[in-house]
Amino acid sequence: MKSLEADVVVIGGGSTGVGVVRDAAMRGYRAVLLERADLGQGTTARFHGLLHSGGRYVVSDPQSATECAEENAIVKRIQADAVEATGGFFVVTPGDDPGFADKFLAGAAATGVPAREIPVAEALRREPLLNPGILRAIEVEDGSVDGWQLVWGAARSAQAYGAEVLTYHKVVGIEREGDRVSAVLARDVKKGEDVRIDCGFVLNCAGPWAGQVAAFAGLHDVNVVAGRGIMVAMNHRLVNTVINRCVYPTDGDILVPVHTVSIIGTTDVKEDDPDVLAIPRAEVQQMLDAGEKLVPTFRNARALHAWAGARPLIKDDRVAATDTRHMSRGMAVLDHASRDGLKGMLTIGGGKLTTYRLMAEHIVDAMCDQLGDTERKCRTADEPVPGSESRKLYQVTHRLAEVEEERLTDPVICECELLRRSVLVKTMKEQPNATLDDIRRQTRLGMGPCQGGFCSTRAAGIAVAEKVVDAERATGLLRLFLKNRWIGLWPILAGDQVRQTALDHWIIQGIYDVEHLPQPEQEVVL
Amino acid sequence: MIDVVVIGLGPAGLSAALKLAESGRTVKLVAKGEGGFQLSQGTVDILGYSPERVTSPLAAISGLPGGHPYVGIGADKVRDAVLWLRDTVGDELLVGDLAENYVLPTAVGAMRPTALAQPSMVAAHQASSYAVVGVRQLKDFPAELLAGNLGCQVAWVDLPARKEVDSSAHMFARAMDDPGYARRFASAVAAVAPKGAVLLLPAILGVKPGTWRRISDQLGRPIAEVPMQPPSVPGIRLHDALLAKFKAAGGRVIIGSRVVGCKTAGGRVASVTVAVAGGPRDLRASDFVFAPGGFASGAITVDSRGKISEPLFGLPLTQTDANAVVGPDYWAPHPLFEVGVETDDAGRAKYDNLYLAGDIIAGAERWREKSGEGIAVATAVRAAESIMGGRA
Ligand SMILES: Cc1cc2nc3c(=O)[nH]c(=O)nc-3n(C[C@H](O)[C@H](O)[C@H](O)COP(=O)(O)OP(=O)(O)OC[C@H]3O[C@@H](n4cnc5c(N)ncnc54)[C@H](O)[C@@H]3O)c2cc1C
Ligand SMILES: Cc1cc2nc3c(=O)[nH]c(=O)nc-3n(C[C@H](O)[C@H](O)[C@H](O)COP(=O)(O)OP(=O)(O)OC[C@H]3O[C@@H](n4cnc5c(N)ncnc54)[C@H](O)[C@@H]3O)c2cc1C
Repeated sequence: MKSLEADVVVIGGGSTGVGVVRDAAMRGYRAVLLERADLGQGTTARFHGLLHSGGRYVVSDPQSATECAEENAIVKRIQADAVEATGGFFVVTPGDDPGFADKFLAGAAATGVPAREIPVAEALRREPLLNPGILRAIEVEDGSVDGWQLVWGAARSAQAYGAEVLTYHKVVGIEREGDRVSAVLARDVKKGEDVRIDCGFVLNCAGPWAGQVAAFAGLHDVNVVAGRGIMVAMNHRLVNTVINRCVYPTDGDILVPVHTVSIIGTTDVKEDDPDVLAIPRAEVQQMLDAGEKLVPTFRNARALHAWAGARPLIKDDRVAATDTRHMSRGMAVLDHASRDGLKGMLTIGGGKLTTYRLMAEHIVDAMCDQLGDTERKCRTADEPVPGSESRKLYQVTHRLAEVEEERLTDPVICECELLRRSVLVKTMKEQPNATLDDIRRQTRLGMGPCQGGFCSTRAAGIAVAEKVVDAERATGLLRLFLKNRWIGLWPILAGDQVRQTALDHWIIQGIYDVEHLPQPEQEVVL
Repeated sequence: MIDVVVIGLGPAGLSAALKLAESGRTVKLVAKGEGGFQLSQGTVDILGYSPERVTSPLAAISGLPGGHPYVGIGADKVRDAVLWLRDTVGDELLVGDLAENYVLPTAVGAMRPTALAQPSMVAAHQASSYAVVGVRQLKDFPAELLAGNLGCQVAWVDLPARKEVDSSAHMFARAMDDPGYARRFASAVAAVAPKGAVLLLPAILGVKPGTWRRISDQLGRPIAEVPMQPPSVPGIRLHDALLAKFKAAGGRVIIGSRVVGCKTAGGRVASVTVAVAGGPRDLRASDFVFAPGGFASGAITVDSRGKISEPLFGLPLTQTDANAVVGPDYWAPHPLFEVGVETDDAGRAKYDNLYLAGDIIAGAERWREKSGEGIAVATAVRAAESIMGGRA
């Protein structure tokens, strides 16, 4: 068994966990982050892509609204390369109560969320596909955010401050000495090695899995309710501005332009197991119907991919456990010292990706309080993370400009997403143990219309050519990639994506016969 | 006066059109795109898996379940059709005797069965050992992956096809038809090629059928072309050969035009409407061959709610609800892609003079069982013979 020592162990490598490890490291703690899979593979890979302006909560949850507005500005400042400042509209669609817009404007004023009503004609001029029947439009500062850019940026910042970020390390136990936490036991699932980290503090940031993690410390009543929501990415930027329905939060009321796609979402259904999240075809239909309310031609566009995430809501007894939408989305920090008599462990739940930095500040503050380190102040709000030093916000045209510049030297491996070979190879070499899916999340390999039909075999070939992996592993990774892409493909298969899928099958199975490649004794899963 | 209008320019449409033109019919071929050969491996499959690997494709036809397109045709007719295609394009383009499938490496290193192959490929069948040479500027040929999966040596040559680094197989193949370029290529390959009984090269050895032989001769050792993803150079060779024969037999072609409608009367198709420059035009004919492809070409559509249809003639399909035939297992069969139109024994559906050929016909997931060209050609020849027989 490998042994490590740290002041604090952070469990979970979603947006919250990376924010926490960065914050702790910047305050001078020796911090280790443990994530059972890759960074941003839990809820953070399964969200809507919206950098909230706060608008969504001005009526239903004023505190969240204010927090979102403040953090929206901070994230743009410290993680510019992850954010596109698309702006957003709240629109009253035919049949919605126009009076809600007045409540909205009043709520915005009260919560400090910048908002201004604009003429419907202006909204339609800026977003020509928008429903021409909308009755009112309010402009806000919504943006879109790439969750993977965000977590990797924060993780690199934490590493620069000395933190260790250990992915594919699954926590399997938490040890206590008397009334204190003393160590975390983890399994390095890639190497098959056990790791023990002696530590004085554990911060449980395991999102919907936080209850499972708490149970490792003998705390069996941390009740995290998983509120499943699905999202569907459509093949185009149907809009360039985030479009929200101006109603009390409901299903399918937001359309977010992210990179090359626009994403409609979401639903809210209580689930028991955050690892098993269905994407029912009926819910996909519900999303397409909802999309038509905002953009009448919605069904003419092509659904590309779908995914489902689970909101990690810490159960609040004031509302029924089945009504996840109305539980506090605000963050909750559980202090297990006062709650359960266990010192050195805190759990955080709820919150949003937009407010990840503030969540981190809260939980690390609470740790400092317990440790009596009150002079260590949070410093995360101003310093840009590595990669965002220029403070230039992301633009969807970035890659096109780079491809044009490099066209004589750097081939495009994924045409849909304009991913250049050099970028792919750099990512692969930095993370030689990565799967092609890990690479995909960071580079958008295979995320476009062809969903990997043309680029997956190229990428597998390059991984071998660049000596990152051998042919056997590349073959396994290719198979895993195709299998994983299918998770989000079959639920939306319709329209032109059927045609694309047929072409992909002609290539992958018809020409390459991938299904009869030499098969490893065990499928590659990591 | 046109005898037959053929819709579709893939293996099925081209075969039907050629067969009919050779028999003296006046044939007009209409197609909106370039056809399925461009997207294929450029060999002729009959049956590769059923579901285990098939050695003798004709013998295996008898074991297929009812509803499979081959079942109504029978092994003899399938053989005749495929041999007709082979003999028509000649042994510069297709070889094989159908007794046994060839088993040829794919570009990622799987061993793939096929019934007829191009002479530039067949050295790879049952070779005692291989070597691989890739081209740096050709991103679609994963040479190390191929070599790794075959357990052989690999080397690279550096030879751009043009100034921009991104070049398709087709661009390389066109360059290769220039003897100077081909010579440079062969010299570069000779300088690095590892040992091995058969040297595997990307399928870029000329759009013209004979180019590969020059390269092989210069190298002085057995070589084999390995097919890649579209645009498929070997596929283009077959396409070009069949199209040229069709034109030589007097056939006329309208390419790049979509058939947008039809006029029917008394259980027969009277004409199809083609969207050509200057407005729609009706093409009347005695018979129609409908070989428009399947899901991949957009001939069978699925709307956003999952309703499957054939929009042009409104032909009945074996299943109309996609929601009922898609599933979560990527590796399992996908019954959605077996959906299509059932025909009578003459190959007709819905109308007395509408004959179907190729992917539009229900009953097989072709890329899985490796049967696309065989079904296409066999159903095309059936359509042509039905038409010829009916009017003889
Ligand atoms: C449908 C949906 C839509 C959303 N849309 C938005 C949006 O548009 N904008 C926004 O700001 N927010 C949105 N959110 C909220 C946002 O996604 C979450 O608040 C955020 O991603 C939570 O991050 P997290 O780090 O807390 O959880 P996670 O990302 O789930 O991270 C927890 C991590 O813990 C790991 N883990 C679990 N068990 C173990 C173990 N034993 N050992 C080690 N690691 C373990 C998991 O693998 C996981 O990576 C949305 C949420 C959902 C569900
Ligand atoms: C903002 C945003 C924009 C996106 N844009 C696009 C796009 O343009 N095109 C596109 O194709 N996709 C897009 N996606 C979806 C993306 O490709 C993935 O499908 C999605 O993020 C799911 O993440 P994944 O890759 O980790 O999971 P998957 O590919 O679904 O699965 C990978 C692995 O995670 C495991 N897994 C499955 N369910 C869970 C679970 N609930 N928790 C933890 N692990 C699980 C699987 O077993 C598998 O091993 C977008 C996603 C987001 C959040």
